[in-house]
Amino acid sequence: MSDSAQRKEAAVSLFVEAEGITKTFGKVRALDDVSLQVPRGTVCGLLGHNGAGKTTLVNVLTTLVTPTSGHASVAGLDVQRDAVTLRSRIGLTGQFASVDEQLSGFRNLILIARLLGASTKEAKERADELLTAFGLREAAARPAKTYSGGMRRRLDLAASLVGHPDVIFLDEPTTGLDPAARIAMWEIVEQLVRDGSTVLLTTQMLDEADRLADKIVVLAQGKVIAAGTSASLKAQVGKRTVTLTLADKPDAERAADAVRRAGMDPRVSGVDELAGLALTVPVEKSTDLVRVVRALDDVAVEPVELALVDPRLDDVYLALSGGPADSPTDTERH
Amino acid sequence: MSAPTTLSASDHSTVAGPGGSGPWRGTSVPMQIIILTGRSLRAVVASRALVLLGLLQPLIMLILFSQVFASLAGTSSFPAGVSYIDYLMPAVLVMGSLSVALQSGVGLLDDMRNGVVARFRTLPIASASVLVARSLADVVRHALQLAIMLVLAATLFGFSPGGGFTGVLLAWLMCIAVGWSLSWMFMAIGVWISNVEVMQGVTSMVMFPLMFASSAYVPLSSLPAWLRAVATVNPLTYSVDASRNLALGNPVGVGGLAALGAAGLIGLTGAIVATRGFRRSA
Repeated sequence: MSDSAQRKEAAVSLFVEAEGITKTFGKVRALDDVSLQVPRGTVCGLLGHNGAGKTTLVNVLTTLVTPTSGHASVAGLDVQRDAVTLRSRIGLTGQFASVDEQLSGFRNLILIARLLGASTKEAKERADELLTAFGLREAAARPAKTYSGGMRRRLDLAASLVGHPDVIFLDEPTTGLDPAARIAMWEIVEQLVRDGSTVLLTTQMLDEADRLADKIVVLAQGKVIAAGTSASLKAQVGKRTVTLTLADKPDAERAADAVRRAGMDPRVSGVDELAGLALTVPVEKSTDLVRVVRALDDVAVEPVELALVDPRLDDVYLALSGGPADSPTDTERH
Repeated sequence: MSAPTTLSASDHSTVAGPGGSGPWRGTSVPMQIIILTGRSLRAVVASRALVLLGLLQPLIMLILFSQVFASLAGTSSFPAGVSYIDYLMPAVLVMGSLSVALQSGVGLLDDMRNGVVARFRTLPIASASVLVARSLADVVRHALQLAIMLVLAATLFGFSPGGGFTGVLLAWLMCIAVGWSLSWMFMAIGVWISNVEVMQGVTSMVMFPLMFASSAYVPLSSLPAWLRAVATVNPLTYSVDASRNLALGNPVGVGGLAALGAAGLIGLTGAIVATRGFRRSA
């Protein structure tokens, strides 16, 4: 690495920076003017459906794909100019385990350490260290093809950490894992962040982004359609709502009138006969729940069920990504 | 940066090691090739059964052909004083080279499919190193397989050509060289086709006529005219002739040079095409 690159790196606080990245494959625009900033020591979650461009963006940032236009730097190194140097500074765990299935877990890690330039002794030490940390010690000598899905993913993650990377890229790290393995993976990621690693992860799962990411970037059709903290994204889309279930239509109409008189804006949605009718009332604060209950009391309507519901990230995601927006709870007004 | 640190099983805290500059920043290209070749050879050792299985096909060919065509040795078009096994074996070596080379291509595709190539791409190594290492490991495997076949042919089938040990050694070396260059061709095909099943289909379709429309099993003069024309332009014929002349102790002449030259050309073209394709297929 050149001196200037080193100096530049020292000054870097944004560890991943992408500016106007566009990537076309033939006529398909996989990425369309994507910009992104990830400060050092934080987790950025890239959220999107299949085909939204998440993997392409990760591939651009990890030097695997050359962007059609735009610039990106990771740890202060340009992804195109300094590609080879950069590769020793990042770790990538993809959607599919990138390990040699024939080799044992131990041999896999040694291979990577040696290719990174470690001596045989250093490589063995590092492999031992990682296998222990990831609970793979027992299976260390077995070929990777005998590993379970969760073990394979852990080995893969260990493989991407061999070189003490500055930035860790996790492309759908929990896709295809069973719930226990998923939670184990989350805990590992949380630990990595506590250690001060910078992480960029992609996911289709909102709960995952919600739990792990400091900042969420929503991608759809190659474009960034929203970015912010989980809370700010929720605030963009939804308010809290009081949801009432009512026995029949007359009840629902009386309830709606009463709530409207109380200065709120209820929506009645036609629900199937058995479940009765639902009334949703957007509210500003939780004390508004009391106002709703009083309004119902005034007209002597007793709801079957009553709940205060927080906006979910799912709502945000669906609303922003142009997915199926008309979920049953917020359909037509009566 | 934090040097490798101590940690306990319940604690991941030192696993990642934050930021800074790590102690390792890649290694030289020759070192990359050595490490990667070692890795491929390890896989060969791990799949000993497969290597032995790979010997089965040429062995069956050897048994069948040596029996079916044995009577050819008495015909007028056959070189006088040469037993059929001595005539056949050098050709079987070339066929062995061909199938080992095919396995190079398949092996590379397997690596690409099982994800290990994806891992290599994220490391600071030259993509050509991956291909060179693959081809070198296959050369070693190839040399072993051919040597085993030669020993079996000599002990079980009475293979003892006029060229003696030196002749056979030269034929063996030439077949290794031919196999190496062909492995580049198949790696190139593999990288561009990037589908193991299609590749196997295409190559077996190509291999079969290449094998029979050549001087491998019968002298060219015993072929019908049209087939002889095909066999004359079949590059395999030159390798077979060269291998046979070396083993039988006949003068090799320009044919041998032509065989090596063609192999070199095929290998070089294959290497360029394979490296390009490999870089492209992210």
